[in-house]
Amino acid sequence: MTEIYQKLEKIVSKKFLSNSIYVRHAYSRNVDLVLQGVPDIVIRPKDAKEISEILKVANENNMPVIPRGGGICEFGGSKPIGDGGIVLDMKRMNNIINLDEDNLIVTIEAGISWGKLNEYLCHYGLYTGCMGPGSGMSASVGGGISHHSVGGGGCAKYGACTNQLVSLEVVLPTGEIIETGSQANKFSKYPFNRFGNGPDLAGLFCGDNGIFGVKTKVSLQIFPKPKFADYKTFLMPRKSAETAAQIMTEIRQKGIDVYDAMFIPDVVVAIGSERGMFPLWEGIKRKLGMFFYTIEANSKIELEERVKNLDEIILGKKSEFLGPEIKDGNIAKWHYAEQGHWQFYHNLWGMYPSMQPLSAECFCPISAFPKILQDIDQWDIEHESDMRKIFDITNVRPISGSGPVPLVDGNNVEITAGFVSFWRYYDGEIHDLIKETNIKLWKSLLERVIRHGVQWYMMGDYVSRFMVDIGAYSEEFYNLMTSIKKNLDPNMILSRGKFNFWE
Amino acid sequence: MEIIHDRRKVYDIDRKPCLGCGDCGYAIRPVVGRYLTCPVKEAMEDEGFELYFSRGRMNVLKSILEGQIPLSRELAEWVYQCSVCGNCTEVCHMSQNEYITLPTCNWIDHVKVWDALRKDLVEAGFAPLERHSDLVEYMNDDKMRNPYGEDIDEKFDWIKEFPEIKEKGELMFFGGCSIPLRQVETLKNMMKILKAAGKEIAMTKDEWCCGSIAIRIGDEKSLTETIKHNIEEFKERGAKTLFTACAGCYRTWKKDYPELLGEKLPFEVKHITEIIIELLNNNQIPFKKEEGEKVKVTYHDPCHLGRHMNLYDIPREVITNIPGIELIEMKRNRNNAWCCGAGGGVKSQFPELAVKISKERIREAVDSSAQILTTSCPFCINNLNNAYEEMDTMVKEKIKVVDIIDFIASKI
Repeated sequence: MTEIYQKLEKIVSKKFLSNSIYVRHAYSRNVDLVLQGVPDIVIRPKDAKEISEILKVANENNMPVIPRGGGICEFGGSKPIGDGGIVLDMKRMNNIINLDEDNLIVTIEAGISWGKLNEYLCHYGLYTGCMGPGSGMSASVGGGISHHSVGGGGCAKYGACTNQLVSLEVVLPTGEIIETGSQANKFSKYPFNRFGNGPDLAGLFCGDNGIFGVKTKVSLQIFPKPKFADYKTFLMPRKSAETAAQIMTEIRQKGIDVYDAMFIPDVVVAIGSERGMFPLWEGIKRKLGMFFYTIEANSKIELEERVKNLDEIILGKKSEFLGPEIKDGNIAKWHYAEQGHWQFYHNLWGMYPSMQPLSAECFCPISAFPKILQDIDQWDIEHESDMRKIFDITNVRPISGSGPVPLVDGNNVEITAGFVSFWRYYDGEIHDLIKETNIKLWKSLLERVIRHGVQWYMMGDYVSRFMVDIGAYSEEFYNLMTSIKKNLDPNMILSRGKFNFWE
Repeated sequence: MEIIHDRRKVYDIDRKPCLGCGDCGYAIRPVVGRYLTCPVKEAMEDEGFELYFSRGRMNVLKSILEGQIPLSRELAEWVYQCSVCGNCTEVCHMSQNEYITLPTCNWIDHVKVWDALRKDLVEAGFAPLERHSDLVEYMNDDKMRNPYGEDIDEKFDWIKEFPEIKEKGELMFFGGCSIPLRQVETLKNMMKILKAAGKEIAMTKDEWCCGSIAIRIGDEKSLTETIKHNIEEFKERGAKTLFTACAGCYRTWKKDYPELLGEKLPFEVKHITEIIIELLNNNQIPFKKEEGEKVKVTYHDPCHLGRHMNLYDIPREVITNIPGIELIEMKRNRNNAWCCGAGGGVKSQFPELAVKISKERIREAVDSSAQILTTSCPFCINNLNNAYEEMDTMVKEKIKVVDIIDFIASKI
């Protein structure tokens, strides 16, 4: 290990790598309760060249490497699987390289957060459209591209953040540095288009969960932020999920270019109000689901027309408009005008003290989500005895269910489901039973959701392996993915273990 | 591990968990004035490993509680590189809107967690660090009773000029250590303001250091004696209100003493700005006539007044009441304010780090177009001034750093 450390030190200098036990543990977890992997070394590289050299050393020494952006994966994706290896902390690479205002393309280092990027763009009246994931205040652009991230706002209009990708610079697991799209032509002076020059190789790295290469430079299409926007929140009638699905479907069928549309289930409204999280809804007697939208436009007339069309759909479903201000219950205004879109779900994770998330976040068609939500409720009932085991120790029962359901690309939604539970260290003692039960329940819930035919975007350590373990992948798809992986990464150095790609 | 076990109710991160979202390291949200969070991590720049900000430290704490890794001197070196400014608590699942409270931010109190970890490091023998040891030793020395190692009488030298200060009274001033020993002109200016307003005060020459430094370092072994001595001293002299011009003393008296004792103090505790606002509201301060263009002033919220004690409005009200002044805000202000970097023992043990953080705050003040950067904490003033001295002439031509008391006195 000393020899490897010395080799790495020559690449990045000693200030930017550490094998301190405390630094290693600082990078050993993500946002779930149960997964941990302690790296041997943490490195903060400054550019693609350094990463290339690091990967070469890793290959020579058969040492796994895991890239880490914001470190907010819900499935343990940005820490080692098992102990050991190198964590690449990409957050040092957080610079804006170029803003091409003529062609509306921004080129950035992959470790930059969506928050920092959009703060920069707002001074030019621009934004990224899709604002990345719900954790976009901190999450990195590279991480977003690696996961087809959505949830940070704008995904009903712009889709997942990978939709805006123009070009990538990627360091392959064996150290070669490539650029995609227009930049595959070495005479191209600047990125301008993703497609062409042969197959869409950028697509290979989109949503790859970091297994095919380390993203170091990203060019994104950006957009002028429309000057006009409106946002409204509605109280849903009974059977709120079904009604919300009908509304979303009708919005798509009528081709209304809504920026955000989101359903907040009954349970979130009820428990959140009970816990004092939503003073804006305190006066509402029927704690049913909420639906809100945000719509943007380039003129007042255009905006009024769009709002009228949307309101006709929503009010036609016996829903109730809550009023224009946040104090009236208009959470949409808060979400767009104050929250900067981000962080809504995280707040819900902490709805009860001590409870942390074991997620099941995925995409599914609009029409499918009410049944999946119902089935998660049913799953909860069926697992009462396991829930009881945790209750017996903590006196609080884990809570399962779904958080907000945003409309995303095409006719799809993101389900932000899962359950929240306790850490195994509780009240001064380590309770392995809590951890074992958490894992058992998490696997059970994931399998239940997988069998609805959903599509995962953030898969990390856990879901990527679980999909393989339960045979959910079609054989042909998995074989092709394996073949590409072996070709690009013969020693399985990069993100070793994800999708069961081991040494 | 036994020590940690005993502290579990203080850490309480099994019940008030860190979810690991990383906003304490990276969050930028302009719409609510949030531009990053951790002054130490940002000052470390490219070397800013996650152990420099809350999430990384929480991950380490989880591993300690699970028995995977031990406390050590190496850990102490990391832990004390934190100004305990509390900005991580502000960003932790913040909402900043009264109608959507999302109260997870109330469930985790990072400052308490770091305080508890420091206590454990001290009890386990891995702390205090070298310079912190000296401070606590001086503070507990009967010949000194201040962390600067000065003779005990030095603190009260300035009183000789003010025979009108009584030995007993309902309104008593607690001088603390930093202002009388390092910023004595400010005390003289305070007396100028009070005298002009016709306000009488009393003082004791037997006050001891409030103990803030020991609390922040986590070395509380002799603190009970200090607290009891100080409270008794003021109680005996008939104090109904104790006030101080030091943000650290204010927090210690108002928050830490009652918490450590488990009971209310026998008198009210106020900050000097709370006294001055009363005088201003009664038109008791005879300001000079307004002349020329308005002076642009920006206010730096000391962590011990702002995030720790929620005292944001009164200092601003004081400033806006001064004729000829335009108060302008820095990009990060109130609960989002950037720490000056001096707190939590950083200034004494890691002075270069503290100054580096202050330079960023001064640059922010310059960007606001303010001509005066004022604040109401001697630690902030000292650290900002140290940074200011190292900055180039262009900065010095644009802005000056002035204690709020000195600034008010200059207008009388």
